[in-house]
Formats: sequence, C-alpha cells, structure tokens
Amino acid sequence: MRNYDLITPEGTKDLLFGECIVRRDIENTLLSLFKSRGYCEMITPGLEFFDVFNLNSQYFPQENLYKLTDSKGRLLVMRPDSTMPIARVVATRLRDAVLPLKLCYDQTVYRTEPALKGRSDEIVQTGIELIGSQLKMADLEVISTAVDSLRAFGMEFSLEIGHIGIFKELVGRLEASDRDKERIRKLIENKNFPALNDMLDSLGDNQITAALKKLPSLFGGEEVFEKAEALMHDESIKRILDELKDIYTDACEICGNDGSITVDLGLVNKTDYYTGLIIKGYLQGHGEEVISGGRYDKLISEFGYDIPAVGFAVNVNGIAKVIEKKGVLPAIPRPDVIVYAETGCEVAALKAAQELREQGIIVENALFDDLESVREYAMEKKIAKVVVIDDEVKGGQEE
Amino acid sequence: MNKPIRIALTKGRLEKDTVGLLEKLGFDCTAVRDKGRKLILPVPDANLEVVLAKANDVITYVEHGVCDLGVVGKDTIMEMHGKFYELVDLGFGKCKFALATKKGYDFYSGYGIKTIATKYPNVSRRFFEKKGMDTEIIKIEGSVELAPLLELADGIVDIVETGTTLRENGLEVIEDVAPISARLIANTVSLKMRHAEIDGLIKLIEENL
Repeated sequence: MRNYDLITPEGTKDLLFGECIVRRDIENTLLSLFKSRGYCEMITPGLEFFDVFNLNSQYFPQENLYKLTDSKGRLLVMRPDSTMPIARVVATRLRDAVLPLKLCYDQTVYRTEPALKGRSDEIVQTGIELIGSQLKMADLEVISTAVDSLRAFGMEFSLEIGHIGIFKELVGRLEASDRDKERIRKLIENKNFPALNDMLDSLGDNQITAALKKLPSLFGGEEVFEKAEALMHDESIKRILDELKDIYTDACEICGNDGSITVDLGLVNKTDYYTGLIIKGYLQGHGEEVISGGRYDKLISEFGYDIPAVGFAVNVNGIAKVIEKKGVLPAIPRPDVIVYAETGCEVAALKAAQELREQGIIVENALFDDLESVREYAMEKKIAKVVVIDDEVKGGQEE
Repeated sequence: MNKPIRIALTKGRLEKDTVGLLEKLGFDCTAVRDKGRKLILPVPDANLEVVLAKANDVITYVEHGVCDLGVVGKDTIMEMHGKFYELVDLGFGKCKFALATKKGYDFYSGYGIKTIATKYPNVSRRFFEKKGMDTEIIKIEGSVELAPLLELADGIVDIVETGTTLRENGLEVIEDVAPISARLIANTVSLKMRHAEIDGLIKLIEENL
C-alpha cells in the first residue's frame, strides 16, 4: 500500500508565515468591520448531520460533500456552507431571540472540487446574516456592509446585484416541463446565448420567451432597467424591477456613484437558496466572485421557523490570492532581542526576557550552549540584539 | 491605455479561423501570423493579447480568469464543462459528435451491455444515460476507430467531420450525438469588470459572422 504521510490531500495546503498573516489580517479586518456594525459572532460545528444539508430543496449535491459517519453509524458531513447551520441554530436555540438578529461568522467550509483544477476544497468564509427583517433597509444594510468589505482591501472592485424573482416569474408563466425549465435556467446562468435562443425558439415566440432570451444580456449599469422595462410588462415583474432599481440607486449613492455598483438580471444560480436580492462581489485580478450572498426568506422555514433573512459570505482564500498575487506579502515580524543564559542563570534570563516583552518588544530565549552559536543564529535570523545574562552582569547587553 | 484583453485560442484550425475573423474585423494580426514559437502575441490595434493553447487548457485559463476570453470547440466544452460564459457561436470549426459502429452491425440489438470506446467519456456517458442505456465506457487516447476493429468495443463516440476515416476502416455513423462548432467563451468576472471593451468586441464579431 502506498503511504501518503508526507503530502496533504488534493485541494488542501499548508499555510506558512506570511501567508498566515495575510489570511488573519483579512479575517480580522472583516470581523471587526462586521462587529462595528453590531453583528455578533457565532461558531458552528465543523461536522453536521447530513440531514441539515439534505432538505427538500437539496442545495448541495451529495457528490460535492465530504461525508463520514459518527459512532452510531449516522451520516455526517464536513459543513459545505455556514448559512444552513446558522439557519438551523436560529430555528432552534435562537427561536425566542429578539429580532432582528445580526450574526457573523468566520469559518472553513468544505466541498469536493474536481481534481487537478487548481481549486481549493477548503475555503475560509467570513460573512454576515441579518435575520428577521424584510425591509429594504435590511437589503441596503447588507449591501453597504459588502461594499465596505470590498473597499477594505484597497483594490478595484465591483458589487453586482440581481433579483432571482424576475427569472422565477418569467419561467413560472412558461409552458414547459420542469426539465426544460431547469435547462433554461442553466443556459441563462452560463450566458449561453446560442443554445438559449434555440431552446426558446422551440417553445414559441411570445413576450415571455423574448424576455427570457434577453435576460442573460441584461447586465451593466442603469440602462439595464430601461431595457428590462421595455421587455417585461407584467405587473409583478415591474414591481420587482422597481424595487431593485430603488435599491440600485441607493447603493450607487452609497458608493458615491463611481460605477462600482452594477446589476445583472441573469444571476440565476441553482445552488442558491435565494428568494429575492442576489449580490456578488468581484475584485480586479481574481477570476471568480469573492462575495456571494442574497436574500433567503424561505430557508429558515425549512427548519421550522418562518422568518426572512439576508446575508453574504466573503471568500477569504480568494482575497488572499489577489493580495499574494500582487506580491505585497507582509514582513514576518522577527524578534528584536534574543536573550542568552549562561549556565545557572536560566531563571534570571527567563525573567529578564519577560521584562523586556512587557516593554512591547519581541524577545526570544536562546537555545544554544555557547554564545558564539547564539551570535551566528542571531545574524542568520537578523535579530538586532543579543542580551547575555550571567552571574555578574544579570542584564548586560551586546550588539 | 488599459491592459489588453487576453484571448486564448485553441491551437490549429480554430486559431487560424479566429485570426481570419480578427483580420476581417480590420485588426492587424501580423504578430500572430509570424508567431514562430511564441505563445503570447499582441494584436495592438485591438488591444488584444492572443494566447495559444490546447483546447482543454483554453477552458482552464478562462475559468481561472488569467485569460478573459477564449475560442474553443463545443466538443471540449461538452466534455469538460466548467464555470464560464458561452457567449457566441462563431460558426466555424463545424463538425459533429456521432456514434459509429462496424458497417452493418446491429448496435441496439440484444440485452448485453454495450462497450463504447471514446476520447470523450463524459459526452458518451450523458448520451447513453439520456437513452436509459447502461454502457461500459473505455477511454482511448489515439485513433478510436481501432477499438471496434480490434473488437474491444461495440461502437465509438467520436468527432466526425467528413467521415472518410470511418469509411476507409469499414465503420459507419449510426446516430448523431450533437453538432459542434467553435464558441467564444468569457471569464465570468472579466465580462463584468471589462464589460464595455468585451461587449464592443462581441458586437463587432457578431456583425461580421
């Protein structure tokens, strides 16, 4: 049998030094941003029962989950998502809590990705969930938090909003089998215009097929709303469009109308439990979205508590990748001082080192037999000062 | 000027057809025509950078966003899938996926599980799954036509252009699986972040197809 004791599984990696600093900086920046807006952190288990993710709507295909069994033989998964466990907690332990609930989290999710594609199976997500409000203000609160999150990294970004309701209304009026409707959704998601046109042509030429054909091209700035209004005349769709436009205008104002807010009416991803607003955040230089979120008013009711919610998650790995690609890895803090103890002075040296640390500097205890080795080591590691503690000096210093 | 839009082209025929198309749009592709062994080439007046790659790699580069656009055959897209936008059917590179057997072989008779040799296991599996047929699929890397001749497989699923190779080896197409042509694909973030430039290029392409 082959031994795999020297490598890590596909889709995982060890992070060292500077990489950890980047990672933690991102997490801390986001968490403190969320906390300054009144969000409280929660941590859910890394292991959950499979059933939590196997609700009627099956948002996560089972082939993408890491599975194992507990001591009673029950099926467990490594959590593939944080929102569903949080929905579970809200529907149980937080059922009587005062609303709205403002929750945030910073934890790893696990999904199996196709091998050899350079993708990570282990992703750190830092995000928020705003639970118990259906107000437009709640959507705006989440959008402005997302904008602040993107802005925090000082790179060119864009935040995109959409509304799943438009697609749902249109496809609901279409006379087609569920299988065909799913195909249409997929073609719109992939902006596959050639195949979408062929498919819809076979379903007749009417206002609905015409609107669906155009849906994936309805992205960009404010002009999208005009185009959409010209195409869609249905009252309920108009209401959704007005609602979204209203949010769009306010979101633009939040950003100082600098063009960083865009809209895409063709955001129709399947694994989404979203029922209304959808948001995606992009950073220049990263090929995938770094923020993903939206409104999910029906998810918590699947756990038995009917209450609306909206939130988003930031892909910390993605942001770390962009920062590292730009070559701005932070300097690794090195000790300012190394303290060397002559034989018999160990306790005095430990005390002296602690006193120095209390002045706010980084102090290392030397682990060598002779002063020469300490000097060599200090040189190698670029430690500026060697402090020698012996019987007489008990605190002498050298360069 | 902005950093150029990077477009990955599938080396070979699709590359030539795409360069032809770009020239038809009025862009100067001299650097690409006289490429030598270079793999990244500028088309300065279109603010494009052409990257030459194998078909599967075109998708990989576009998915990761290191190339903004790509030109790749529908055959590769159907086999590989992935997360990208499939924007335009470029109309060239036309051929088809087909199921072929030895001439006169009655493929659908009997209840035994059929064996299929192919370079495209995913396409084959989906095709037979849709028919509710359980098949055994064997991946072949080179000339798939050999497999039925050597009696390793009952049939093959492969790309057919003219059908000459099939005919000369005593094989025939018994069913079409799917039509194939070249597609323009885009990275999902690039299309959004560089919307105006990419949109302009697509409009130009669509007018000249």
